[in-house]
Amino acid sequence: MNNNTELIVKNLHKNFGENKVLKGIDFKLIEGERVVILGPSGSGKSTFLRCLNWMEEPTSGEMYFDGELVTEKNIRRIRRNIGMVFQHFNLISNLTVMENMTLAPIKLKITKRDEAEKRAKELLRHIGLLSKADAYPASLSGGQKQRVAIVRAMMLSPEVLLFDEPTSALDPESIGDVLSLIRELAGRGMTIVIVTHEMSFAKEIATRIVFIDKGKIIEEGTPVEFFEHPKTPRVQEFLKKVL
Amino acid sequence: MNDFINKIVELFGTPEYIDSLLHGFLLTIQIAYFAIIIGILLGTIIALIDTAKPSKWLTVPKFICKVYTTIIRGTPMALQLFIMFFIIFAIKGFPSIITAIIAFGLNSAAYTAEVIRGGILSVDQGQVEAGLALGLKRRTIFFKIVTPQAIKNIIPALGNEIITVIKETAIVSMVGMYDLNMAAKDIGSGQNMASYIVPMFVAALFYLTLIYLISFIVKQIEKSLRKSDSRMANE
Repeated sequence: MNNNTELIVKNLHKNFGENKVLKGIDFKLIEGERVVILGPSGSGKSTFLRCLNWMEEPTSGEMYFDGELVTEKNIRRIRRNIGMVFQHFNLISNLTVMENMTLAPIKLKITKRDEAEKRAKELLRHIGLLSKADAYPASLSGGQKQRVAIVRAMMLSPEVLLFDEPTSALDPESIGDVLSLIRELAGRGMTIVIVTHEMSFAKEIATRIVFIDKGKIIEEGTPVEFFEHPKTPRVQEFLKKVL
Repeated sequence: MNDFINKIVELFGTPEYIDSLLHGFLLTIQIAYFAIIIGILLGTIIALIDTAKPSKWLTVPKFICKVYTTIIRGTPMALQLFIMFFIIFAIKGFPSIITAIIAFGLNSAAYTAEVIRGGILSVDQGQVEAGLALGLKRRTIFFKIVTPQAIKNIIPALGNEIITVIKETAIVSMVGMYDLNMAAKDIGSGQNMASYIVPMFVAALFYLTLIYLISFIVKQIEKSLRKSDSRMANE
């Protein structure tokens, strides 16, 4: 693993009106890292993840992607390099699976239509859903939707993939399929930031765990450090409840 | 009953009566048709301004749209028609059909704007976020994602609005215009058939047929737009 810094976040704050959700977060993401963000509900962990690609525009603070300061002007270009997978899949409902996958590469003029379709077919074959290429999202199961959403994000060959509770809206049977696809991407060296409630998956996949509570990072470390030797009472209490 | 049949024979046997009904019907269709077009065009503009992200350039237009829809939706159509005829376009020789088209068009725009606004707002925000996360331009997201989904929500309500406009045009008889409604009244009057039941019954059939046809077309459009909702698609 080399040490290229993908992303730096400095003193990030996010308010929703009077509600202060993030209260000064410093964070650095190195290429090849797999960061799992944990925390109780309402801690701000999803908001933090959504700030990384400006789905939520930070109220204050600075962000650098590949050394470049992220602004309102360049965020759209930067987003091509930060894929995102949502809790509710967010497949575009008026487009077929194939169109979902090829829309961005074609519209952003990254690849020609036939090349994009060829790559989409390869990816769909790989996840066993080639037969669904011309189906609309409504005809897919939750697990199928999420796997399509993951390969849709891969169509732009992003440097970083963000996962916002990717299995929270799935039935137990589909969770395994989605997790093994994420596991596979991890195995190929993809840089990943993931918010999840799947503790055993977090332990297995993470190179680093970040624990957020009340809008601040309380503790971070390797999975072994975090799960076996938590330093702060807050994390000890959290782990006692969830494990 | 015999009398009723006789009246039917009389109505359909008198070319002037049929001519009057058809002329009236044509005027009804003309007013409704152009009013609906104005309503959709102006309504779309109002809805786009209303749903656009707030910015200092849009503060005044947004306010104007709010005031406009509030006034139009808060006052009777018949009063708006009178104001158009007796105040705004009280110009000698000004064609009354134009005045009527403008009156109904401006009225329909306020309702159509609400229909379109609702359609746009009912598109799941996650669909927009999917486009944003892929680095798509706002314009691409609007035309490729939001618009097709909004249209699906808009079509049924827009169909209702079209039907409402067609029926509401009957009040132009209040300002002396010879539409289908007026034709029925005229034919039934003392100087003519001296019986309202048959001409009014026939006028009702004309309205019903037109509206049934429009509902049918709207249903067909709805059905073809629902393609992507079907779980059975491609199976």
